[in-house]
Amino acid sequence: MAYSNRVEVRRVEMLEDGVQLASVFKIGDHTYVMLSDTKANKTVLSELPPTLGEEFGPLLKGVDAPAGAHLDMDPGGRVEGYGVFEFPYGPVSFGVPEAGGFKLVTYGERVIKVVPQVNFKKRGVEQASIGRSPQDALILVERSAGNFSASYSTCFLTAVEESLGLEVPSKARWTRAAAVELERIYNHLHVFGRLAEAASQNVAAAQANALKEDVLRLNSKHFGHRYLFGLSVVGGVRRELSKAECKELSNASRVIAREFSELVSYFLSSRIFLDRLQGTAKLAAADALRLGAVGPAARGSGIQWDDRLTYPIEPYEDIYVNMETDSGEDAMARTMVRVNEVESSTVVLREILDRIPGDGARAGAEGHRSRVDLPDDFSFCRVESPSGDLVQVVRLDNEGRVSGLHIRPPSLVNWLPLAKSLQGNVFTDFQFAFESFGLSFADSDR
Amino acid sequence: MPKVWVARGLKKGVLTSRFPADRPTSAEIPESALPPSPTPGADWRAGRKECPTGAIRAEEERVDLGMCIYCRRCSSAGFSFGEGAGQESRALQAGAVADVARATRRAFRRSLHVMMIDVGSCNACNLEVLNLSNPYYDLTRLGITFTNSPKHADALIVVGALNRAMVDVLKRTYESMPEPKMVISVGACAISGGAFTGTEGFVSPVGEAVPVDVVVPGCPPTPIQVLEGLLLATGRMTKATRP
Repeated sequence: MAYSNRVEVRRVEMLEDGVQLASVFKIGDHTYVMLSDTKANKTVLSELPPTLGEEFGPLLKGVDAPAGAHLDMDPGGRVEGYGVFEFPYGPVSFGVPEAGGFKLVTYGERVIKVVPQVNFKKRGVEQASIGRSPQDALILVERSAGNFSASYSTCFLTAVEESLGLEVPSKARWTRAAAVELERIYNHLHVFGRLAEAASQNVAAAQANALKEDVLRLNSKHFGHRYLFGLSVVGGVRRELSKAECKELSNASRVIAREFSELVSYFLSSRIFLDRLQGTAKLAAADALRLGAVGPAARGSGIQWDDRLTYPIEPYEDIYVNMETDSGEDAMARTMVRVNEVESSTVVLREILDRIPGDGARAGAEGHRSRVDLPDDFSFCRVESPSGDLVQVVRLDNEGRVSGLHIRPPSLVNWLPLAKSLQGNVFTDFQFAFESFGLSFADSDR
Repeated sequence: MPKVWVARGLKKGVLTSRFPADRPTSAEIPESALPPSPTPGADWRAGRKECPTGAIRAEEERVDLGMCIYCRRCSSAGFSFGEGAGQESRALQAGAVADVARATRRAFRRSLHVMMIDVGSCNACNLEVLNLSNPYYDLTRLGITFTNSPKHADALIVVGALNRAMVDVLKRTYESMPEPKMVISVGACAISGGAFTGTEGFVSPVGEAVPVDVVVPGCPPTPIQVLEGLLLATGRMTKATRP
């Protein structure tokens, strides 16, 4: 798909119907907005119109917040009165095994407001990358979120290679895509295991976690690292798959898919499990769009956006990807999106492995152009990470060093939808709501 | 429904690792978790230049594992990671930095309650520590269990590059643990800052905020390596008794 079909540069004055704010970033002297037009399946770029500045408040705050202090992602609205109780959760807890917290405001059993607290571990990857060579910056970028590292490195390198005008062997790009699909599979299995644990289905959780360990071992066997660190380098990949390895991995993914579907069929016949998910943490489609939800969270509310289809970089242009959506709007719908994606990801993975091009094939530079016709020179990329749309904007100076980097992680924009979905739910459903979104504090804090 | 699970369990057989009775297998400690070691013709200066964290000490001609993020960039300078080079040290990387008192070790020999605290990690170390409870590693078979509260914890596993926003939280968590207690630093970030040394949020290695007893290098260390650190801390494994 040619670039011109997918990216549109136009002046935006207001958020139209069906258009979602993807990101706001400052590069050079100007501030830009990136929007996802979910009706036309286009990425829209514009200079920040002054009329929209205030509406983007919460997101802007999360993007620019400094490191070293935590940040309340307050969804707004004051709640106080007799019987209203504020329950602090985190940053040290095993329910959320990361440094991040929530303020849960409850009235009796009901949660009436949730304030996610982020940035307990903001390291400042973006600032630290400035002045480094892309290869050095990559070390930081792929460690922004360890469990999304393949998505992070693919996104960063696609933008960097675009800026440098590097021709990258097609084989390398296809190998990266295979890694991204494996990453999606093990993350979805992880979320599934966590949900089972939350429902105290311990045997089932153990089975799901064993399956996840199988995928991690496949990662280390074929890509050299359990969490896929260090696979990609500027201009290629460090490790290429041989024909025999492709075959082996392809067969292994078939086994994973079969075992998982068996596991899911047992789960779906367990009333206890279904009761906890059905009707829990409802996120209306309109709210998902307005608050900027991405990934399985948005697709579980019926929003049609998957970067593999709406912003396809090289291998995805020629591969059939089925967009998994569900109109249920609840935790069950989000879980089913993930379940179906494990299935469809293994299909995509097998197709990638079957069709990995030979050594000679080079990527046509036209296919994934993202350099844009705006006052400042930058390039960007969007990759569908396991938790949704990841945006990175890169600017290089004359010597090829990073002079500007903007990361809009998928988890950052999903906090407010999570807070919204929890309103009115009973307190004990918190774990199911949180796990069904599959968010990571490391990812949102970067 | 329970019948289905039993049948499935039987079909899958025993998955659990033989460690610590046997040496870990290559699936448990993959090549990516083996430390770099110099080949005879290795160029220390070139290695230092390539190394993003300064783990290669050219003057002393040694690799500081606490800083190494296993990025493999020094392979161009003649450092190798394969079976041959790393065979001796497969899994055997954890080290004691402080001598845990014998009484403490005795107290924890048969039962250890562990709590994990994240002070700024990328989530990979967290997941590897959590993986210890999956059927492949099954921590509870060794009498080690995870706990959710520092008040119940004997040992604290710290992961991540200590963040400015987490210094006080870490100290308060440590203080609320009952005596005797131990701290285990897991991963390059906790030990030295790793890849995040010099970022805005990073303060200091964990060892400067709370006393650390055992370090487990890696980026991230595999579950078996974390387990080895736990066994080392409780005196159930020493350099001499490693399988």
